[in-house]
Amino acid sequence: MSDLDLAQQVLPATAPGEGIAVELVGNGDMQTADMSLSIGEAHPATHGVFRIVLEMDGERVVDAHPVIGYMHRGFEKLAEHRDYRQIKALVNRHDWLSGFSNELGVALVVEKLMEFEVPDRAQWIRMLLAEWNRILNHLMFIGSYGLELGAITPMFYAFREREDIQALLESATGGRLHFTYNQVGGLKIDLPKGFLHESARVSKVTRERLPDYFDLVLGNEIFQARSKGVGPLPMDVGLSIGVTGPTLQATGLPEDSRATEPYLKYGELDVEVPVGSNGDAYDRFSCLLHRIRVSLDLIDQIHDHIPPGPVNSKLPKMVKAPEGATYVRTENPLGQLSYWLESDGGRNPWRLKMRTPSFSNVQAIPYLMRGQLLPDAVSILGSVFFVVGDIDR
Amino acid sequence: MSEVLAHRSRALTPAETEELLRDRLGDGVLRSVVEYGMFTLWIDPSAWVEAATRCRDERLLGYDMFDSLFGVDAREAGFDVVAVLYSTSTGNRIVLRVRCEGGRDAPTLPSLSEVYRGANWMERETFDMFGVDFTGHPGLEPRILTVENFEGFPLRKDFHLAARVAKPWPGVAEPVELDEEGNVIEREVGLGDAPGPYELDKAMAAQAQQVNAPPAPAVQPEAGADDDDADPSAEVTASATATGATAGSDAPAAQAPVDEDRAARAKAKADERRRKQAEARAAKAKARAERAAGGEAPDAAPPSDTAADTTAADEPTTSAPAEAAPGASPDAGPDAGATEEASDDAAGTDASSAATSTPEDDRAARAKAKAEERRRKQAELRAARAKARADREDGEDDA
Repeated sequence: MSDLDLAQQVLPATAPGEGIAVELVGNGDMQTADMSLSIGEAHPATHGVFRIVLEMDGERVVDAHPVIGYMHRGFEKLAEHRDYRQIKALVNRHDWLSGFSNELGVALVVEKLMEFEVPDRAQWIRMLLAEWNRILNHLMFIGSYGLELGAITPMFYAFREREDIQALLESATGGRLHFTYNQVGGLKIDLPKGFLHESARVSKVTRERLPDYFDLVLGNEIFQARSKGVGPLPMDVGLSIGVTGPTLQATGLPEDSRATEPYLKYGELDVEVPVGSNGDAYDRFSCLLHRIRVSLDLIDQIHDHIPPGPVNSKLPKMVKAPEGATYVRTENPLGQLSYWLESDGGRNPWRLKMRTPSFSNVQAIPYLMRGQLLPDAVSILGSVFFVVGDIDR
Repeated sequence: MSEVLAHRSRALTPAETEELLRDRLGDGVLRSVVEYGMFTLWIDPSAWVEAATRCRDERLLGYDMFDSLFGVDAREAGFDVVAVLYSTSTGNRIVLRVRCEGGRDAPTLPSLSEVYRGANWMERETFDMFGVDFTGHPGLEPRILTVENFEGFPLRKDFHLAARVAKPWPGVAEPVELDEEGNVIEREVGLGDAPGPYELDKAMAAQAQQVNAPPAPAVQPEAGADDDDADPSAEVTASATATGATAGSDAPAAQAPVDEDRAARAKAKADERRRKQAEARAAKAKARAERAAGGEAPDAAPPSDTAADTTAADEPTTSAPAEAAPGASPDAGPDAGATEEASDDAAGTDASSAATSTPEDDRAARAKAKAEERRRKQAELRAARAKARADREDGEDDA
């Protein structure tokens, strides 16, 4: 007896799909054992050491428990043992994709507590580099989200652009990841000669290539099928959790501290805040992509504004903040980054709380995943843009 | 799409907010602070949840966004918990602050996790870092950031940073703290003053003494007086080793370098005196010869070594230690102030010696000036070297 005959005996010949009862899964009536599925702590979809335990009912996620802390490095404790000027080398490591923006937050909070005036030129340059850093960060997530949904081309595209921007930032700061370019009181050094010219060129090139992303990713049918309607987040829930950045903007709320609580010189610029409509994965990604365009617009505006002058101011030999506490909010690429700095008048901070966007955003994941299908869990995980170091600090 | 800052024009001022909450909470509001642009309201623990609920639900307040919640060590009083709320409609931000009940031993506070969803993880983190027990929280365990079997609460100030206990801060070179009159401020060690980078100057110095103390170089003060060539480079190297040793080593080990330094200075002084005397004698002899006869003028310079012998024999060393002391004080270290003091001191002694000595001859005076010049240069060199060392340590500190 041939194999084919055997098969025909076991499986009666029917049309595809005929005779197979289709059951709706996830109503708790699947007779499966209680299954908990652990993703991570070293899974490619978690980009870092992040673990999530899913309670499954068939294909349906009943509950999700993120397990964090694998990368806890105690930055808040370490900062209490450092001079105010040394903290920047710590903070540009928690969110390693936005080193410049992190340093900026710390510089601002120390300056606010010391009531320090920073030269105008330094403020404009800070904004310029912060926007470039934001684009770097967003390009990375555009590449990685595509990768999680099974497309590798966006990653190649993103790294092409990233390389230009990296070179640009490297020419000014000397660093590619940990810039340590901000200082309390200004910047380390002035921009190199020809930087603005090169910056304008890179801005133009990036803007020309931006439609590729919109067509290739947002316009892609597979991408839309995997992201539309997946993991919607209502606005009130998002606010109650404290999500910020693209995750909050996707719910339809144009909340961005560059526009609502302007710091540096953002008040003098037009900051457009892209928003989504129902807060699903597609909207989150779409907001991220539009934020690149907004950043490019800002960069072009900033180029016309940078005044001449000094970029740093003379600090006393001993940097000491007066007794008191303050809180500074900046718009990091992934959302609201805030530092609470409390001083007892000494040379080190008494308390430096890092309110990082990833920590709050990841807290929304259990809510987003409940009731979703397992294949969508990866899509949700990728669409809540986070950096593991930023969660664990 | 909804709007942000729709009610910005209706936003309450801090005073109005306080009035409203005092009306609702009574004695639950303890006091308010406005500093550095932040409005802080101190809340009684019993009214903690009520205060947060009011902030969220009062139509005039509308703090809809949960920003942050964290702990702060409040020394002997225990622990504070700070909650930051933001209103997307008015653009106001409020800081609610509470001192936990139970002191440092068992701090407890009602949980906000029923009011704001985001408080869940923030409170877990506060529990993990400070050990604050939030009553009514759905589950503070397992610890959110540290490992499950971690002992202690790392952000409490009495929890010492292990890395600092095991290994001192690499690189020191932070100047000591001075008040207006230049006196060193000694701070009392209080709760939370874990050995930070600055306390480690002393620890580093002590360690360096034990490890790096060179064997005391045997330098005889008399040995220098015998050789008569006054080579400036030799003096420089001698003093260089002396200062190098003093900065790196502690009090007992520094005794030898002090001697060495003193010897070098004594030698310089002896050389100078010897030359001066020889010159004076030569001048005198020349004058005598000229006076005696115009024809055969003998270049009558007496052999300098005999002069050296005589001067070395009766050379007084009383002034040498007094001059050597400030530059070679063992705890001077790479401190800019100390080196300045040393060079000042050197200049002072030079001036005084110049004033007391009566110039017998033009040339002798010039020679003396030259010697002084050399001494000053030496002092400057030493100061520059000390500064370079300080800079280098600064650089290491940055790296």
